[in-house]
Amino acid sequence: MTVTFPQKGLPWLLLLPQLLVTAIFFLWPAEQALEQAFYQEDAFGLSREFIGLENFADLFTDPLYYQSMLTTLVFSFSVAIVGMSLALLLAVMADRIIRGKLAYQTLLIWPYAVAPALAGVLWWILFDPSMGPIALWLKSAGINWNHYLDGNQAMILVVIASTWKQISYNFLFFLAGLQAVPRSLIEAAAIDGASPFKRFWTIVFPLLSPTTFFLLVVNLVYAFFETFGVIDATTKGGPGQSTTTLVYKVFDDGFVGLDLGGSAAQSVVLMAIVGLMTVIQFRFIERKVQYS
Amino acid sequence: MTDVILEKVGKTYPNGYHAIPSVDLSIEEGEFIVLVGPSGCGKSTLLRMVAGLESISTGELRIRGERMNEKEPAERDIAMVFQNYALYPHMSVYDNMAYGLKNRGMAKKMIEEKVSDVAAMLGLTELLQRKPRQLSGGQRQRVAMGRAMVRDPKVFLFDEPLSNLDAKLRVQMRVEIRQLQRKLGTTTLYVTHDQVEAMTLADRLVVLNKGKAEQIGTPMDLYNKPATPFVAAFIGSPSMNLVDANLTEQGIHLSETLTLPLSHQHRGDIVWGIRPEHLEVSDERNADFALRIQAVESLGAETLIHGKIETEFGNGEPMVVRLSGPHLPEVNSLMWLTAPMSHWHLFDAKTQQRL
Amino acid sequence: MIENRPWLTFASHATLLTGIALVALPVWMALVASTHPASAFGVGHIPLWFGDAGAETWGTVLFEKAGNGVDTPVWFMMLNSLIMALGITFGKIAISLLSAYAIVFFRFPFRNLCFWIIFMTLMLPVEVRIVPTYEVVANLDLLNSYTGLTLPLIASATATFLFRQCFLSIPGELVEAARIDGAGPWRFFFDILLPLSRTNIAALFVILFIYGWNQYLWPLLITTDDAYYTLVMSIKRMLSVTDGDIAWNQIMATTLLAMLPPVAVVIGMQKLFVKGLVDSEK
Ligand SMILES: Nc1ncnc2c1ncn2[C@@H]1O[C@H](COP(=O)(O)OP(=O)(O)O)[C@@H](O)[C@H]1O
Ligand SMILES: [Mg+2]
Repeated sequence: MTVTFPQKGLPWLLLLPQLLVTAIFFLWPAEQALEQAFYQEDAFGLSREFIGLENFADLFTDPLYYQSMLTTLVFSFSVAIVGMSLALLLAVMADRIIRGKLAYQTLLIWPYAVAPALAGVLWWILFDPSMGPIALWLKSAGINWNHYLDGNQAMILVVIASTWKQISYNFLFFLAGLQAVPRSLIEAAAIDGASPFKRFWTIVFPLLSPTTFFLLVVNLVYAFFETFGVIDATTKGGPGQSTTTLVYKVFDDGFVGLDLGGSAAQSVVLMAIVGLMTVIQFRFIERKVQYS
Repeated sequence: MTDVILEKVGKTYPNGYHAIPSVDLSIEEGEFIVLVGPSGCGKSTLLRMVAGLESISTGELRIRGERMNEKEPAERDIAMVFQNYALYPHMSVYDNMAYGLKNRGMAKKMIEEKVSDVAAMLGLTELLQRKPRQLSGGQRQRVAMGRAMVRDPKVFLFDEPLSNLDAKLRVQMRVEIRQLQRKLGTTTLYVTHDQVEAMTLADRLVVLNKGKAEQIGTPMDLYNKPATPFVAAFIGSPSMNLVDANLTEQGIHLSETLTLPLSHQHRGDIVWGIRPEHLEVSDERNADFALRIQAVESLGAETLIHGKIETEFGNGEPMVVRLSGPHLPEVNSLMWLTAPMSHWHLFDAKTQQRL
Repeated sequence: MIENRPWLTFASHATLLTGIALVALPVWMALVASTHPASAFGVGHIPLWFGDAGAETWGTVLFEKAGNGVDTPVWFMMLNSLIMALGITFGKIAISLLSAYAIVFFRFPFRNLCFWIIFMTLMLPVEVRIVPTYEVVANLDLLNSYTGLTLPLIASATATFLFRQCFLSIPGELVEAARIDGAGPWRFFFDILLPLSRTNIAALFVILFIYGWNQYLWPLLITTDDAYYTLVMSIKRMLSVTDGDIAWNQIMATTLLAMLPPVAVVIGMQKLFVKGLVDSEK
């Protein structure tokens, strides 16, 4: 129980800026989205008509929406799993070495600072079918790379670009997790005759599971919400709908397709998902705070 | 002159916990009052109400005749030393001590003077530019005291200020606090759970039990005439031997076969007590009872003998005897004891009051 | 490690170096590309080693115009990015410090509700509610303005939550000591709380600066006037030129310049950056 000041009005004054910004730029838009979700608006915003749940009905009968959900899941889990595996490998190696750890860390973490859109551009060039060195090299190896035409290849491209940016983050947390593994445990296992490989899988990896789980959640959230720039700068959701994630679709339907009602309905669905996740995370964090 | 008056002061926490029913206490100017009691009995609560850090639920607090209930801590002219010292970690020793004075708008010159005076008194002059984390536990303790002293308040409040120090330093600081308080003559309210600290520091002690003041008096009053079995057990080390007994016209029945003759008008269940240091070794003929020895603790200057009163039905009540000098009785042997009547303490078992 | 196995150590270094090379590959490519004239890029051909047009390309994009339909020079867009990044960073830190202070150190009705409302925004990036937010900002006449660029993005709860945690770890006795020393809420805030939160603020600053600098979709939507273009979003405008006319060298130089400031911050303040990352995910 913390000690508090007795003033009654002051806390409201202190909260005011945060509450105002939240109300104007979050609650108001959320309310608008909710309202729009129940209307059909023409493209010029001149007239609108109340249509009840029709936008939602459309949404949940639209095969494209389900395809987008699937795309989002495939994309998110690929980013999470590829990124975490590579980062874990690098972190284990970095944890093994004694000298130069910090230098390696420095050289590995900087991509975190690169904007997703820029990450997309950088990888796009490398894979450009007509002049990208990697695309040309693949062609000479017999693989015809063209992410403008092939949906799977487009997916691979956005996964690579998104993962590249996130490796640094995973690396840092895995390295911290590895360094927190008690040395005595590893030494005990070594005395018991376990090889380095065996030690990792039977002792270190299980002990890392909280970190792994945490990173899985963070990576999924990242892939869900923060990769808009990657997709927009590289594939624009295409070809077809093959890289249109849910978040990209909200934007695409709203600003490109000008289907404001449909986009609003998607916003409402996404906000509901986020709300649910927030409640779960809130419970989780509060519990952690209480016990620590 | 009476300096601090607590009149029927009570505390109920917002969660409904009734921490202190009602306490009356008047403190003379310059007096050193120690609040003592087991952990959780409400000592800190009472002190913090005096400080203004907790609101007073019922009753009134007056300092120098003025009602304080509604006053902010800073307006009460008190200073407080906390258990973990609560030094501002980012400020130097000097700034820690000067902060309260600065906030009161005192001139810089005057602040400097006051801080250096107090620092000299506490031997902190060399440390004024250090940060708290660069100090030892004892030094931090001193800085916390210095911070209280520069303010020259009407009342010092201490909340277990020594409990984070090691045993040796604790004794040393205890003596020092007492000397400083005598020298400054500042009225002091001091909280501790350590009865030795309480006995050695206090002009008067307040023994708290579950939020109630069981007894208020000088250390010797409390030692010689504890008002309740709780006080009797709490004051003195090792604790007083207390035995549930029954008082009839024949005397005190400690057990079915063991009676200490006494003529007293009270009848019924009582608690009979005698301090370990007042039991005397005797011989079989003159003894009041025998002790079956279970353990012997030799401390050099004195010996503590733990045992149980021997009765026909086997072992009775546990009892401790304190003898001066070394003794080496055999474990499991019998020791014959007398309990001089002048050192008996009798309490009514029902009302828990001294008879 | 426990036993001395030179080949294992060697393998570790080799793996790490490979990792570093792979991670650096796209930037290397971009750097090389930016040193060639635009004509060097054609079908089936991209230069793999440095050319000699580097100084010219970099000079042009930095001081004249970024090219590909964006007529503002990079230095000017950098300024806009800086304003936006710092606005977001300082804004978030300021309002979060205040609200966390209110939530931790005061008791008032609906305190939990307020905390919940703020917390709800924690995981709701602007991308999710992009259309209505855009409309609100348009209604408020904030399109093409620095206010419009920054204000809607400072409504996030990560910082509030972080400061709340930080404040909760401050011992209550310190607050009490300050109160006895005559410090009111404001004095306590400035004299005690801010200095004690210094490293937390600095760590958060690093993270938020990167976040602010890297904003993409938001500035893309609400700025149509060159005067408010930020660097990261300008890439998108540069790429919308028809395929054949793209000057890759300029795009690459601009991309590198756009990532330089946040990368420099991460490398230069690595310790604070790591602390910020760890803290803000607790
Ligand atoms: N803020 C609070 N709210 C509810 N109960 C409290 C609070 N602070 C203390 N208490 C309870 O009041 C009782 C007395 O506490 P305290 O005065 O701190 O005891 P102590 O004698 O150890 O200093 C304890 O049982 C404690 O649990
Ligand atoms: Mg206490």
